[in-house]
Parts: sequence; C-alpha cells; structure tokens
Amino acid sequence: MSSFNHIRQNRSFSPKLHLLVVFIFSFFISFAQQTISGKVEDGKGMPIPGVTVTEKNVSNGVLTNFDGKYQITTKGDTPSLVFSFLGFKSQEISVNTQSTINVVLEEDLEALSEVVVIGYGTQRRADVTSSVATVKSDDFVQGNVQDAAQLIQGKVAGLSVSTPSGDPTAGAQIMLRGISSISGSSAPLVLVDGVPGSLETVAPEDIASIDVLKDGSATAIYGTRGTNGVIIITTKDAGKVKSPTIDYTSYVSFSSISNKLNFLNADGLRQKYDEGYTFAGANFEDFGSNTDWLDQITRKAVSSVHNIIYRGGDDTSNLTASINYRNNEGIFIKTDNKKYTGRIDVNHSMFDDKLKSNFSVVVSEQQFFTGGDGYSFDPYVYRQALIRNPTEPIRNEDGSWFERDIYFYDNPVGFLKETIGQNRYRNMRFSGSMAYSPIDDLSIKGLFTRKGNSNIRGFYQTKNHVSTTKNGINGYASRGTDDYVGNYSELTVNYNKNIEKHTFTALVGYNYEDNTNEGFYESNRNFPTDAYTYNNIGVGQGLPLGEAGMGSYKNSNKLIAFFSRITYNYDHKYLLMASIRHEGSSRFGADNKWGNFPGVSVGWRANEEDFLKDEKWLDNLKLRAGFGVTGINAGRDYQSLSSLNYNNYFLYNGQWIRELIPSRNANPDLRWEKKEEFNVGLDFDLFGGRLSGSLDYYDRTTKDALYNYDVPVPPNLYGTIMANVAQLNNKGLEASLNTTPIKTDNLIWNSVATFSTNKNKLVSISNEQFQTTNDYFYSGYTGEPIQQSTHIVQVGQPIGDFYGLKSVDITPEGIWLIETPDGQIIPATESSSADRQVLGNGLPKYYASWNNSIKYKNWDLNVNMRGAFSYQILNFPRMFYENPNINYNTLVSAYDKVYGKAVLTDVQRYVSYYIEDGDFLKIDNITLGYTINTKSVDFIKNFRIYASGMNIATITGYSGVDPEVNRIGLAPGNDERDKFPSTKTFTLGVNLTF
Amino acid sequence: MKNHKHTILKWNYKVGILSLIVFLSLGSCTNLDEQVFSEITEKSFVATQDDIIALEASAYTPLRYIMGWQGLFDVQEEPGDMFVTPTRPNGWDDGGTYKRMHFHTWNDTQWQPRNTWLTCYKGINNINRVISQIQSGSLPIDAEKADAAVAEMRALRALYYSILIDTHGNVPILSDFSDEIPTQSTRVEVYNFIVGELTEVIPSLSEDVDKSTYGRLNKLGALQILARVYLNAQAYTGTPEWDKCIVACNEIINSGKYSLDPNYADIFKTHNETSPEIVFAVPYDEIYAGGWNAHMKMLSPSHRDVFNMQAQPWGGSSCNPQFIDSYEDGDKRLNETWLIGPQLDADTGLVLFTMVKQMPSIYGSGMYEGFRCRKYQIITGAKSSLSNDFPYFRYTDVLMMKAESLLRTGKSGEAAQLVTQVRMRSFDDLAKATVTGEELMGDTTVKYGTLDNNGNIADPGNQTPVKYGRFLDELGWEFAAEARRRTDMIRFGVYQTKSWYNHTPQGEYTTLFPIGLPELTTNPNLQQNPGY
Repeated sequence: MSSFNHIRQNRSFSPKLHLLVVFIFSFFISFAQQTISGKVEDGKGMPIPGVTVTEKNVSNGVLTNFDGKYQITTKGDTPSLVFSFLGFKSQEISVNTQSTINVVLEEDLEALSEVVVIGYGTQRRADVTSSVATVKSDDFVQGNVQDAAQLIQGKVAGLSVSTPSGDPTAGAQIMLRGISSISGSSAPLVLVDGVPGSLETVAPEDIASIDVLKDGSATAIYGTRGTNGVIIITTKDAGKVKSPTIDYTSYVSFSSISNKLNFLNADGLRQKYDEGYTFAGANFEDFGSNTDWLDQITRKAVSSVHNIIYRGGDDTSNLTASINYRNNEGIFIKTDNKKYTGRIDVNHSMFDDKLKSNFSVVVSEQQFFTGGDGYSFDPYVYRQALIRNPTEPIRNEDGSWFERDIYFYDNPVGFLKETIGQNRYRNMRFSGSMAYSPIDDLSIKGLFTRKGNSNIRGFYQTKNHVSTTKNGINGYASRGTDDYVGNYSELTVNYNKNIEKHTFTALVGYNYEDNTNEGFYESNRNFPTDAYTYNNIGVGQGLPLGEAGMGSYKNSNKLIAFFSRITYNYDHKYLLMASIRHEGSSRFGADNKWGNFPGVSVGWRANEEDFLKDEKWLDNLKLRAGFGVTGINAGRDYQSLSSLNYNNYFLYNGQWIRELIPSRNANPDLRWEKKEEFNVGLDFDLFGGRLSGSLDYYDRTTKDALYNYDVPVPPNLYGTIMANVAQLNNKGLEASLNTTPIKTDNLIWNSVATFSTNKNKLVSISNEQFQTTNDYFYSGYTGEPIQQSTHIVQVGQPIGDFYGLKSVDITPEGIWLIETPDGQIIPATESSSADRQVLGNGLPKYYASWNNSIKYKNWDLNVNMRGAFSYQILNFPRMFYENPNINYNTLVSAYDKVYGKAVLTDVQRYVSYYIEDGDFLKIDNITLGYTINTKSVDFIKNFRIYASGMNIATITGYSGVDPEVNRIGLAPGNDERDKFPSTKTFTLGVNLTF
Repeated sequence: MKNHKHTILKWNYKVGILSLIVFLSLGSCTNLDEQVFSEITEKSFVATQDDIIALEASAYTPLRYIMGWQGLFDVQEEPGDMFVTPTRPNGWDDGGTYKRMHFHTWNDTQWQPRNTWLTCYKGINNINRVISQIQSGSLPIDAEKADAAVAEMRALRALYYSILIDTHGNVPILSDFSDEIPTQSTRVEVYNFIVGELTEVIPSLSEDVDKSTYGRLNKLGALQILARVYLNAQAYTGTPEWDKCIVACNEIINSGKYSLDPNYADIFKTHNETSPEIVFAVPYDEIYAGGWNAHMKMLSPSHRDVFNMQAQPWGGSSCNPQFIDSYEDGDKRLNETWLIGPQLDADTGLVLFTMVKQMPSIYGSGMYEGFRCRKYQIITGAKSSLSNDFPYFRYTDVLMMKAESLLRTGKSGEAAQLVTQVRMRSFDDLAKATVTGEELMGDTTVKYGTLDNNGNIADPGNQTPVKYGRFLDELGWEFAAEARRRTDMIRFGVYQTKSWYNHTPQGEYTTLFPIGLPELTTNPNLQQNPGY
C-alpha cells in the first residue's frame, strides 16, 4: 500500500518534480555527483520495467527501462537509493562508493505486481488487457492430484476441471468457456515452459505456476490451437542469487470407491425368488453362493509420491534438478500407474547479461497394468461385476472359474485375474534456448526443442481366461509399440522502448513444428503354454493358422507460423495490445492451409485518472476489452486427401487378393475452424489487497466448425465427411472475488470465490457446400440393447439437449406411458421415434467455487468447495439396471413401483424418468497442515506436514455414483454405465526444505 | 558519439547475419505438403494391371454382408415364417429388434434394412467409380477388356438394385459416378433400369464357367438376375412377366453349363465351390474372407462341444415349429436342413443335450428349444466365421423359377415335372418324390395361425387358401435359410395376410421396408415409403 501510493505521487507530481530537479541541481551544484547504474529484477530473475528509483531525502528520481535497467546521477553527499514498484516491497540501499547497484525486489503479497505469462513473453498483471488467470503453487490443490489440471480445479473462473474417472491413468477433463468446437476436442493448448506439451509432461510437484489465457485476444498469438484457451505451465526454477536448497515433498494416499451402485445381493435376489419373480439369463436360478462381485474386484488403493527438487546457483548460472516418483494404485485390483520423472534445467547468462541461455531436459517413464489390450482398465469387467448373479460362486470346485453360457456375461474376477498386461512409456524432451540482447531494448531469442515418446505394450489372456474357456483362443497375446518424434522451434525478436510516458513493446516471431507418429502391432494365439505370456509371441500357432494379427502405421503433420505482437501503454493508464498470427497446417486442403488470426485488446486503468487518484481505498481499477480470432486444427491427418487402401479380400481366379477402396470421403476444401471472441472485463483491487477480483463477459462465435458431418449414402461411399459446416456461439460471465476477511499477526483468512455462466447455442449446420434438410442431427448413443441416440443437436438450441421419450406415467400393467410432443398420452409400446422430444440439457449453466485458506500461527487449513448447477444427467445405470425384466442382475430399486403405481414390465427404454437434475456442491478438498518450528535445526529451512481429503462430500439430489459426469463432446451429461467410478482419497504428506 | 555509432554498426552486422540465417531457415520451412506413409494418395496412385482387379474387387466384397450380423439373411428370414429369434435365458431381447422383425412393426431406425441399403449403395458406389475410372482411361486396360469389365460391373450393379427393389422399392438410381445428391425413383423405374441394364450388357458378358468366373457374374449369372426380377415383376410393378422369366431360365438351362448337384447337402458344404449347380457364389473364407457368422447367431452355446468349435455360438435364431410340421415324410431335406434331437459330444459321443421342436414364445424360450439350421456344413473345429460359399444363384432355382412361371401360366403339368426332377434327390422313394400339377396348385400345407405357449393354434387368423400355396411350400423346403423366404412369401401373398407363431398380419405396406431415418435426413429428395 505504501509503496503504491509512493509511486503514484511520484508520477503525478512529475512536472513539478522536473522543476524541482532543475532548482535543486542549480542549488547543490557544488556537491559531489555520482552516476549509478544497475538493473532491477524480481525474485525469478525477470527484469522489472518502470521501477521508480529515487534518491532518498533529495528530489531526484528515474524509472527503469523495459530491461529493468536504470541510470541515475545522485545529488546528495551520502546518497541512498529507494527502489519502489507497485506490489513489491520497497528497498533502500546506501550507495557508498558503488557505481553498479543491482536489485532484486521482493514481492509484496499483492496480486497486482504479478508477472503474467502471456505467450512468447510476460507482462505485468497491471498491464494485462485480456482475460488471464494465474495460480501459484502456494494456491494449488493439495493431495493426490492426477495431473496439472487438477492443481487448479475450482481456482479459475470459467475453466471447468472435472475428474469423472477414477482410473489411475486417466487425466482430468478440462473445458474452458463451454463447448466451442463440435468436432469434439475441448483440449486447451498446454505449454510447458513455452513448448507445447501436456498436463502430464512434468510432475505436479514441479510446477511453480499455471497461467490460463482465456479470451481470444490473449490466445490469438497462438492462433492455431488457441480456441480452447492456453494453459501455460511454468516449472520451478532457481531464480537468481539463491542459496542452494533441496525441497522434499512426499505423500501417501488412500483411495476407495466414492459411491457404489446398490445392486441386489444374494439375499436380496433370493427374496425376489421368494416373492415369485422369475428371471431369464443371469438371475435365472440360485447357485447357492453369496458373492459381492464388486468387492471382489475392488480394493482400498494405496498410492505414494516422492519429489525432490534441488535449486541453486549464482549471478550467472543456476541449476534446477528434480526427481519425481509416483506410484498410484487404482481402486480396481491390479490397476496402477507408476511414473518416474526427472528434470534438469540450467540457466546461464554471460557477456554482461547480453547472452542468456537455457538448457533443459525432461525425461519420464510411466508404466501401468493393462486390463484391456493397450489400455489401463477394461470397463467390461466393472459391468460384469455389476450385472453378475450374486448367488454364483467365484470358482468351481476344481478351482476353475465359474462361467455360464450367457451372451456378454463373463466372470469378472476371472476376466481380470487371467489378464496380464503392461504398457511402458518413455518421454523425453530436450530444449535449448539462447537470447541475445545486442542493445538494451532488443532481444533476439531462438529456441529449439526435440520431443519424443515411445511406448511398448504387452498383453496376454491366459488359457483360463474366457477367451479360451469359451472361445477357444488358447492363449491370446499381443505386443505393440508407438513412437512419436517432434521438432519445435521458434525464433523471436523483442523490442521494448520507453519514451517518457510511452511504453512500447514489439515482437515478431516464427514458429515451426512437426510431428511424426509411427507404430507397430502384432497379436498371436494358440500358445502351448501360459509360461511365456506375451514375451515369446512367435511361439503361438496363430501365425501358421492365419489367425495372427499384424499392423503398422506412420503419419506426420506440420504447423508453421509467423506472428507479431505490439503492446503500447501510455503512463500505465491506457493500454493496448495487438497481435497477429499467420499460420499454416499441413492437415488442410491444398488451397486452405494458411489462416490469419488477429487479436486486439485495450485497457484503461481508471484508478490512475485524476478523479480517482485520491481514493485511497482503490488500488486498482482496470477496464479491459478485447477481440481475437483463434483456430482449431483438424483433429486427424490426411482428412483432405483422397487416398486408397487395400482392404478386404476377394476371390480372383482361385486366389485371394485385396480390394482397393477409398479410405474416406475426402474433403479437399477442409480449412481452419475459426473462433471469433469478444471479451470485456474489469479488474479491481481494494483496501490494500483485502478485496480484489475480476469480472469478464465473453461472446465467442465459432465459424466453419469442423464436424464429421452426415452425408447421404448414396451418392457418398461413407456416411460421414469431415467438413467445416457448423457455427456455434457461447456467451458467458465469469467472476472471481478474492477477499481477506481476517488479517492479523496470527490469523489470516483468504477466500477466493469464482462464479461463471455459460450459454451455448448452435447457430447453423449448413454452408454453401453442405445443405441439410433438417436443422438437427443426433448424437450420443445408449448402446445395446436400447440402441437409441441420446441427444439432439439442433440449430438455435444449445448443445447437450437430451432427446427421447417423455415418460409421464405407467399403466397398471407396468408399461411406460409417454407424452408425445403434441400432448397425447400413449403407451411406450406404441411410440415411435417421432414421439421424442427435448428432455433436458447435460451442460451446467452455472459453475461456482469457493476456496478458503486459513493460516493460524503454524497451522494452515484449506477448504475447497465447488459446484455445477442447472443441468441434467441421463442415469445410464438406472436406465439399464432399474428394470426387473432384464437378463442380468438389477438394482434394488428395480422392484420399486414406478410413479408409485406399478413395477415395470416394459423392456429397457430411454425415457425421461432416468433423467435427473445433476446440480451438486462438492466439498472437494480439505487440507490441514502444520509447519513445525525448525529454528533450532540449522539444516532444515522449512518442515510442514499435512493431511488432505479429496472428493470428501457431495451435496446433490442425483442418485448415481457421482454427478460430475462427462461434459465434453456432443453428448454431455451421459453417466455411462461402464464409467470407472470416481474415488474418495485421503492423503498424508510432508514438505521439507533443506 | 563515435563509439555509439560503432556499436550500431556492429549490431547491424550481427543482425544482418542473423536475419540471413532466419530467412534461409524460413525459406525451407514453409512447406506444408502432407507426407504420406501408410496410405496411398489418389493423386500419386498409378494403377497397374493387378490393381484393376483390386478395384473391381471392391464392387463384390460388400456382398459378404449377406450372412453377416444383421445382413441380408436377417432381412429375408427374420420377418418370414421360418425363423424366429426368441428371448432366451442368455439374452436375445436386444432392444426388441427381433420382435419388431417378427411382428413387422419396424420403424425407420431398424438396423437390418438400413444395413442392406448402406451395403448395396456401397457396392453401387464402388461400381460407379470403377466404371468412371475405366471410361476416363485412367486404368491401364485395353478397349476389349474394358467393355467386358464395364459390362460385368453394370450387371453387378443390377444385382444390387435387384436387392434394393425388393427391400426398399423406391430408391435412387445412380448410373454415374457423381457427388450430386440423387433423386428418388419409383419402383417401376428401378425395375425398368434393372431390366434395361441387364438386357444391354448380357451379350458382352463372359460365357465361361470356370475358376476365372467363380464368385463373379458371368452371362448366366446375369440372366438369373433377370429371371429373378421377372419372376417378381408382378410384386414390383403390378405387371407379371412369367413368359420372360421362362425365356431367361431356358437360356441358362440350354447353355448346359450347370446341372443339379446329385447330393443336396453338397451344395452347402464347407468346400462347395465344386458344386455343379452354383451359378453365382459369394465366396467366404474363415481366414481371408470372414463375415459369415449366421451359424453363430443360430447354434446354441453348447454346440461348441458338438462341433469342437473354436468359438462359442450365441444361440439365438431357430425354426418356427409350424414350418417343421409342414415337411413331408421321407423328405431328407428336413434332417439336412435342421439340427434335430440328441446332440452328441464330438469327443466322447455322449449326448450333451437334445434339441426340441417346440419354442414357447418369442418372449421366452429355452436354450435348446427350436431346431437350429445345419444346412451350411459346420465342420469340426469351425470358427466364428465359416468358409462355406453362399450359393446366391443355383441351378435348382432356375428350374423352380421356370416351374413357377409355367404353373402360373396354366402349364402345371410341365411345372410338376420340373419340381419332381428337383425333389428326386431328396426322396429315396420315387413315388414320394413325384408331384402333380394339381397338387402344386393346391393350398399350402403350413398350418398358419398364431401359436400358444404349447404350440397349439391360438388364433388361426386369415385361413383363405393360398393360391399355388403348395408350390410355396416346395420353395420353402428347397430354399430354407437361403435368404429369400420374405420375397417368396410376398409373391404368394402370405407375408402380408397370414398369422404364424407370434406374428399377426400388419398390412400390405410392410412388403417394403421404410427408408432409414439418417438417409431421409441427409437427402431431402427422398420420400418415405407409403405406410411409414
């Protein structure tokens, strides 16, 4: 607060100051003068431009330039300099005889001073004109997080991060500002230290901060994949002039299934037999045992994570090295995910800081059990555990698995235990960059990264697996490997200029990226023994019998871009940023490869105006507005090419030869999907940082949206084509409010609340190339045996509309009564697809979160709450299993009277009865930590222990496992019956700094 | 000042070099052509002689859907009076899809008819593309061969249309390779197209019957398409063409290239490619050309041990007892077509289970209730896919088409001679094999009417005698499970009027399937068939 006012006074009085300087200069002309120069940086070695450097007790002052450099000629005889800057703690240094004074300013806890990463550079938070959110490691979610996204779950308004799956290899699902692209991808661009990567490139414990660029004006500089936002991950680094430290972080977690579906157990089933129910299929008869099938395949999972990071260096060189090990167990037996990550990052500056270089290597290895051929957990096993007759034994008397001759009905325990599989991945990324500043205001930077990953997979089903016991495969093995190699390079030239109150920056750059994927796969069967599993695949007789499989592939793509950005601000009051990216993708049609993506944003810091300047309670008030165009690349390679493949066999003259057939309906006109976004926002900081927040409104329209569009057969060979047909609109409001209701010496309570809305509308699904008769299409699928689409995507309506039969009642015989769109009530048995109507929507309209952190003496407590509101869920488990007439085990509720009137006798149907409100509020994370006083121990700098719980409680009316279901794609809100159930996790952890 | 200038100069020099490097690297780095590795682009593709066959192959391969999952077999047999797929202890409700097929209560999302539509048009699309490639000269083929190839492709296109005219009737005719959204034609127009095309191309087709034409359409195969379409002309257009059917049949008969297989079962055995009566086969192979899994759908899961199969069958479809009851004493085809009675373990010879004729209802029948089809040989060690070739056209059908046309044009005596000729291989007793014209003109021997759970007639429904009904029975016994029962029943007026098993008649409109909803949605030129 004090430093803030200080600067403001300096600036506002600057005309007078000049006069004063002249006056004093002439008066004290006889005193000794000294010229001092130096550089001002923040704790991370980032230069801070605009720092006020004043000579104490004398009216004399300058500002640092954009490289943080200054030069001042002192007037006093025992001069001492005061360095002050918005949001940093002021520093006073006696000059004595020094001619160079370099200063590292320490951050004041106020948010305004933050340096925000905006892509190919940084900007002071105060100067940012677009919607950018930053979360620092101190504010990350603690506990057993699956990936980087979960660290910021509920922390960023408008960014929905959900963890619908408890699979230890599954990541979080993220979506920014609604569904902007109908081709299915909602994945944001993830940059790890400036290079495209993933949320899993580095260990969560190794991350220093995450910046989220939300609006189009901010992401336009990334043109290509900026539509779903850009998540910029900055890893921990050593900074400058730091004594070497080692941080050790470790935790152990205990997970269990968060909520079980209530199926009939053996006693319950027997009671149904007694009540006179008869069943076909699974529950046809009582086999005399009592088996809790889900219990047999689940467990209390124990996971542990260890992270060691070393940081150290001096003025010119520093080094960060870390090793991370995580061993995650899944709640289903055998499922796991082990990962080792190592990272070394070296910075060096030389030639008087004119040349700065960075070298970094990230290597990781990951290994997990595969219950499916190539993937972690086969959801089929979960389904089998749910639907299996609970009176069946697990094994026969001879020890073999108890099996029955029922379609799609296998012993889940045997299925899982007789499967052996492992995937192992190695990821590697090495980058080097050099930045050269030939003159003060100019910097030229080159960066090159080589990335690669490879995996090897092995999978085996033993001779006791149903693949043999029912299907005679006699041992099935497969092996596969994929290899990815990518080159990424960028060349940027940065120019900064500060002329009095005018500050400019200009950036031009070039970006090149290529990606090549290739792989190989083979399978074999008929093994003489189980002893080899997949390790001696050639022994299987499938090869001579013509029953072995083999395949390989290779594809590649390229992205090339030229970009430029300028920022300008006048007196830190009027702010402007404009950028353009000219980008090409190899995936588009020959004439449509290149696209232009401009962005412009302006800001006005009203608090700098005369009429607000004296309002002491107002630290910052900024209005922002921006417009930007971003693009979405085609999801797959070669969609625009007409190509042929050799496919099925044909008997020609007694020989089997392969047919030659087009691979797809090619679309040579394939081009960029473009999103135009308008964003207005407001940032404010009041009462010395006790109350701050921001408000954003966005309106984004996606044009030429890519979609695998239905086309008629005939004339087309295939029923779909990838085309730029649709237009979509998303509007929404985002608010976040940070408060510090209590701040005393011993007690600090910080609270962050976020709220966001999203309104989505499909504007069009026709263009000049493709015209549809109907302004809708269907999406989502119930699967067998209901075999209906679940959603309608209709022009003028939002994405996510459930579309099916509206059940309103039941006949005394137990047949659904359906209300048709024109209001008639008919039995479901007489209904047709024409009787369907919109039954709800699967996309939340509102999201909110409330995160509290309380520090009392050595204690810290974090409580995170989060919710999504106003949406519906199609409860698949009820739709399939809440019916006493099915051929498998049922939910207990299947025998309840529907509408209180009759027990269902109808077949399984997709009716509105199974659509429920999904609104929920979760107490998502509670962490209690205690920092142990280590003043008496020399070598320990910090020692904290904590306990944390994730997914602790959910307040919801939804009857399924977890109301946080899939939200991406065109069928959001489907709570699929095979979904890996989410978990509840308790964690004990320790942070230790030496 | 001088110093300063020097700095700028030095800087300019460095920037100059840097910019040069930048531009050099940029020049080589703006190329965005796609590099293709595991695909062949049409642009770079240069067809060789072998590729012409490979391209033509794509016109034939879709036909393998016939005996595949919900293929033509299901479209033709599930709605008929011979096959029923009841719910069983191991499932088979499947969202009611088999009940809708049995009850004729399908709608525009019923997959079986959609599958037929999409598959036929896939074949037609491939044919039109190959024809356009041949005619544009982009394939290395000489003029004479080109004519023959185009003729064969057009005949095959007529074959696909002969399926579509039967299932959907009013379908778009695509005679060129084009992206244009096609318009709908009436069933009569489709009929005229098929007849016109065949008449035009038959003279150019090969008359060879050997390895080179096996699995492909030769002149005689094309003639049989023509005969089949003439046979059903009355159903398709309202105008019968019995005489034209006879002419086409005679041309095949007079060629002398085919004869009746002395052994009925041999027409359907695993290696049936040598059968002298197969005019046009759709070849399958358990390794190369999979897709035949009709046996998996029919056999009970326990049949795995009866045939030592390498796959466990799914156990769904079985025979309507009313049809079984219609067989005459001494007809060997009963046992050659159906698995009846005790089923023996292939290794031990012990009785594993017994197949019984009765099936209580489509809503629930036991695992071993209802006879399963064995007509297509299931060899020991059979897989989920069979190697038997599907006899799409066989010589017996030529004789029977001629017989039916004769019968319907008042020459019942000649007709009876042909039918007797066919029956002779299936009866040991010549007297029993012999039928008279009068018999053939009589009513069907199938006792129509819905059945109760005990297999007794619950509601006889329409009992009007079926004209030439006994001839329909002959077709049933001879061509059981040959993916044609629906067509035959429609021609004899049984399909739309009679009750059987749990089925009651739904009306004349059910003789055509509805056009699929996605097809209607994406092509504004299409009108739904009447009644839907």
